[in-house]
Amino acid sequence: MKIAVCLKPVPSTTADLRPAADGKSLQLSGVEMLVNPYDDYAFEAALKLREALPGSSILAVSAGGDDTAKCVLHAIALGADAAIQVKAPGISARGAAFAIAAALKDFAPDLVLCGRQAIDDDQWEFPGALGELLNIPHVTAVQSLNVDVDGKKLTGKRRFNRDEQTIEATLPAVVSCDKGLNDPRSPTLKGRLDAKKKTATIKTPADLGLDPAALISTIRIETIAPPPQKSPGRIITLPPTDAAREVVRWLCDEAKVV
Amino acid sequence: MTILLIAEHAGGTLKKSAHELSSAARALDAGATIHALALGAGATSVATELAAWGAQAVRVGEEGFEPYAPLCWTCAVVDVANAVKADVILFGAGALSRDIAGRVAMRLGGTLASDCMALSADGKGIKIVRPTHAGRVTTTGAFSGPGPLVATLRANAFAVLKPAQPGAGNVANLNAPTDTADLRAIVTATVQSTGTRPELSEASIVISGGRSLGSAENFKLIYDLCDVLGAAPGASRAAVDAGYAPHAMQVGQTGRTVNPALYIACGISGAIQHLAGMRTSKTIVAINKDPNAAIFNVADLAVVGDLFQILPALTEEFRKALK
Ligand SMILES: Cc1cc2nc3c(=O)[nH]c(=O)nc-3n(C[C@H](O)[C@H](O)[C@H](O)COP(=O)(O)OP(=O)(O)OC[C@H]3O[C@@H](n4cnc5c(N)ncnc54)[C@H](O)[C@@H]3O)c2cc1C
Repeated sequence: MKIAVCLKPVPSTTADLRPAADGKSLQLSGVEMLVNPYDDYAFEAALKLREALPGSSILAVSAGGDDTAKCVLHAIALGADAAIQVKAPGISARGAAFAIAAALKDFAPDLVLCGRQAIDDDQWEFPGALGELLNIPHVTAVQSLNVDVDGKKLTGKRRFNRDEQTIEATLPAVVSCDKGLNDPRSPTLKGRLDAKKKTATIKTPADLGLDPAALISTIRIETIAPPPQKSPGRIITLPPTDAAREVVRWLCDEAKVV
Repeated sequence: MTILLIAEHAGGTLKKSAHELSSAARALDAGATIHALALGAGATSVATELAAWGAQAVRVGEEGFEPYAPLCWTCAVVDVANAVKADVILFGAGALSRDIAGRVAMRLGGTLASDCMALSADGKGIKIVRPTHAGRVTTTGAFSGPGPLVATLRANAFAVLKPAQPGAGNVANLNAPTDTADLRAIVTATVQSTGTRPELSEASIVISGGRSLGSAENFKLIYDLCDVLGAAPGASRAAVDAGYAPHAMQVGQTGRTVNPALYIACGISGAIQHLAGMRTSKTIVAINKDPNAAIFNVADLAVVGDLFQILPALTEEFRKALK
């Protein structure tokens, strides 16, 4: 089976993010970039499938700015058979779908795996957009995944609002992965050393027949600001029963939220 | 503007999010023509309420829309959006929008904006305010095409206001797409949660417990208070990882995003990844024995003390106050 895994570089979850001087972008120099945590579940799922289905191959793809190098290196160190880095800085989730759909054309994957959401722009857009461009079904946010290669279908389980759903799809398909799917492994030292010997194929939008301008978001950013800061709240340090009474009084009579 | 609302319901009971979509649509353009689409078993019975909420026309599709098939629903949304020439398509941010809104936007040649906190029009285009980077920054952007805007609205972010005049509410039945390619992905089984508590991302009160609860049994302290207040229970990741609460209850970056009128954090330290899932809550109460806990930085009311003593007292006091 041919498996493609899409990975995106994102700022570390604990990084102190600040707007840049222009007030329209983020100050990212010096901010540690990581592989989007949900993409780790996708890559682990690919490794598990390759182990179960000998002869399978994994192609890692990352599209975006220079930090995509980090993603492809990570994937190679974890055992990707090949990797494509599409150099297209400043692209949107939608732009990434265009770039990756084009980059996957020759490989013709049976299964494309990605994370349920990129934790930087939080759009939840990519899997459906990619499925549409590849004209194959997409299944989002699975917490379990079984692939039946002979039957050319997959079964996933996921939460859908309050329900637990079992969903089936025919192959080829795009599947986005949620926490709980597996326990992602980290690259070994040997993997990291081996990674130095392999290289990713580097492409530009032009190589893929795409206009870079068409990959930028159509929403023009006007401002990026820290979330509204709250003024310090009231502190209560009373004995339990008195504290409870005061909380109830405040919520019912002052804040009027209960 | 022509605005299409994707109205969600549970077996014929309209969800609160539909009221928010209608309110947001009219706030975006007081003169908007509002269309609504409801799909799945029971959809027909929400048509009257959608008219009362300003819909000029309501399309309902029941037969062929169950079990849920994402491509089939995508096709229906796109067909209706094209038929009415929608400028804006609104979804409530939730499982459905996260499943298909990206595909809908791509097929329509439009643009998706997820988890919007505010939308406004200024004649030149639409202004969109949305949190990104797990709520660490707020982004304001302007959209003026090409194609329609597909926006998903964060629950409880838009003021709900019933229109003075109902819409005409002409109901039309929508046939399910007949192309079998639209059934390439389909739900084959659904286990409904049996709980009676409200859905976490829609609840107006959420009460969460952290690692310090110490056991699944002790989470009863959280559930008891929830039941008095009609609240949904939540948990920190540390509590979920320790097995005290199911993953479905996890609030935060790798869990659910909530935006209730009231959030009560009990024994939660306030790690940035937890704040990501709840910091936009209107009123935040935190109970923590550590006066320096980070959660207090976002709390409107900081209660310093032992949750094992305060929670039962709080449940008792609310029980009395709400009798
Ligand atoms: C990639 C990534 C994603 C993450 N995603 C999430 C997420 O989605 N959601 C999430 O919550 N976390 C997430 N985390 C974990 C997060 O960093 C914290 O570890 C977690 O939120 C801590 O949970 P806690 O507050 O329950 O536990 P702790 O940090 O252990 O805090 C316990 C708190 O309870 C207080 N306390 C102890 N005893 C009592 C008592 N008797 N009465 C009152 N107070 C008491 C303590 O003072 C302390 O503040 C993520 C981490 C990473 C790296």
